[in-house]
Amino acid sequence: MSTSNDKKTIATSASIARKLEVLAQEKETARQKLVVTAKKLAATAKENESIRRKLVETAKQLAVTAKEKEVARRKLVVTAKRLAVTAEEKESTRRKLVVTAKELKRLYGTLEKKVLRRTKDLEHIRSRNEAILTSIGDGLVVVDKEGKISYINKSFEEMLGWKTQEIIGKSMVEVVPREDLHGVEVSFKERILTQVLAGQKFVADLTNPFYYIRKDKSRFPASSIVAPVILNKKIVGAVEVFRDITKEKGIDKAKTEFVSLASHQLRTPLSTVNWYSEMLLTGDVGEISAEQKMYLEEIYKGNQRMVDLVNTLLDVSRIELGTFDGESKPTNIVGLVESVVDEQKLQVAEKKLKISCIFAVNIPLIQVDPKLLRMVIQNLLSNSIKYTPERGRIEVALLLDDKKNVIFKITDTGYGIPKNQYDKIFTKLFRADNVIGKDTEGTGLGLYIAKSIVEQSGGKLWFESEENKGSTFYASLQIGKPKKNGVPANGT
Amino acid sequence: MIKKPTNKKVVLVIEDERPLLQVIEAKLTGAGFDVISARTVDQGLHYMEEVDTIDAVWLDHYLFGDKTGLDFVAKLKSSDSKWKHLPIFVVSNTASKDNLRSYIRLGVSKYSVKADHKLEEMTQDIKDFLDSPQE
Repeated sequence: MSTSNDKKTIATSASIARKLEVLAQEKETARQKLVVTAKKLAATAKENESIRRKLVETAKQLAVTAKEKEVARRKLVVTAKRLAVTAEEKESTRRKLVVTAKELKRLYGTLEKKVLRRTKDLEHIRSRNEAILTSIGDGLVVVDKEGKISYINKSFEEMLGWKTQEIIGKSMVEVVPREDLHGVEVSFKERILTQVLAGQKFVADLTNPFYYIRKDKSRFPASSIVAPVILNKKIVGAVEVFRDITKEKGIDKAKTEFVSLASHQLRTPLSTVNWYSEMLLTGDVGEISAEQKMYLEEIYKGNQRMVDLVNTLLDVSRIELGTFDGESKPTNIVGLVESVVDEQKLQVAEKKLKISCIFAVNIPLIQVDPKLLRMVIQNLLSNSIKYTPERGRIEVALLLDDKKNVIFKITDTGYGIPKNQYDKIFTKLFRADNVIGKDTEGTGLGLYIAKSIVEQSGGKLWFESEENKGSTFYASLQIGKPKKNGVPANGT
Repeated sequence: MIKKPTNKKVVLVIEDERPLLQVIEAKLTGAGFDVISARTVDQGLHYMEEVDTIDAVWLDHYLFGDKTGLDFVAKLKSSDSKWKHLPIFVVSNTASKDNLRSYIRLGVSKYSVKADHKLEEMTQDIKDFLDSPQE
């Protein structure tokens, strides 16, 4: 039995060994597996650690992000609030805009109406102006800078017989000739229109009537005013307004007749007072008392002043009508001046004035109306006497200038003429402020008459003066023949 | 024919304004003249015919009626007139240049403006002329 047993034991041992071996192998495998697993676990652990770290990192990052998000959120809240406010404002603006838009629409409507109305008004004004221009009673012509007609009114057509379409664009000077009072055609150069277009400021020839020639060659007396049309400081044309003065000429004649009538009518009662006072004063109708004589003398003097005034007014009328036609002849001006000075000796003595005369030795006879020249010298001398205070000086002189004109010069130590009234001193009826209170008898006509007479005879009258120091008046007189029927002093 | 009453010089005054005529008469009479007065040209011409002793005429220009002093002078100074040399003194307020020229041309002795002269001056003019007549 042992051997078998043995054998059995051996066999069993062997089997166990094998089993053990297998087990060991299995264990080894398991161990190896475990190693692998351990390795894997270790790796996993590492990975886990890494993941954890990453997670930690992520968590950290998330924490940061969360903070930022919070900040951002807060910011968003603020922004949202702001946006809410802005939205409100926008709404308000929108509402306002709606209102404005409505207002604009309304205004636009009104404006449109206004423009329409204004356009209508303008149209109305334009046609009214056109109507006014067309119907002006005076002839009206507008020319361009070449003198070519660009507009004429109805009166122009009626007065001159031309129709607009016949003469538009044609030269005014050629279409409508002008003649002077003697029937001589006025040359192109002398035409006022030509002069105005050439730059002369403004010309009125109301005092120098002329004739315009109609289309049918008949003529009528006219007077006109021509003025340049200025645009941007350049003359672009001219406007002429003229009128038919046939009627005025008739009035002139009536005026002359009136002057004649007035001279007769006014002087007759004055003569009556004069002569009756004279008869009483001379004792022709019985003796009168000294007191009565004094009263009568005042009446006589007052009347004499009235006579002088009427005479002066008549002289002015004659000057203005150009009927003051003197009769010039060779005149001894030295003798004339001496006699005028002599005449006024009484007034000179009354005011205790000192008067001296200086005459150049070679003063020739001059061709002049002695009566008119006497008036000039009388006026100038009586002014010096009137307007020089007591004990003043007057110096009368006759000289010759280099052009051989005789100069009458009168200097006084009188009140003088205020500088601001220099330009008015020769104006009719003007009396300087500083003498009105000193002399009540002046008419303001003396210098006007003197200047008119001197200028009508081709001479000149001027003065120098300083207030409260005195004045010097000069009259220059041509020795030769004076102009016949000279232009009145107020002519242009 | 009206006879010359005295040996005084006779002046015919033709003036239509009554107060003026009256005072002229007084002045001339006082100065030793005999005065005959007329207020129209025709009346004046009538007296010229009737009174042959008139020595001088005082004449206004504008007178009653349609004739003026010029008509009177023209008649008296015409070439066949017997009064050609009679002195005429025109005393008028209408001193128009034309009138004056016409009177001078027709040969009047003097032309005076009433308002500018004393009666005394004009009376003296007549006296002077009659004392030593000039042609």
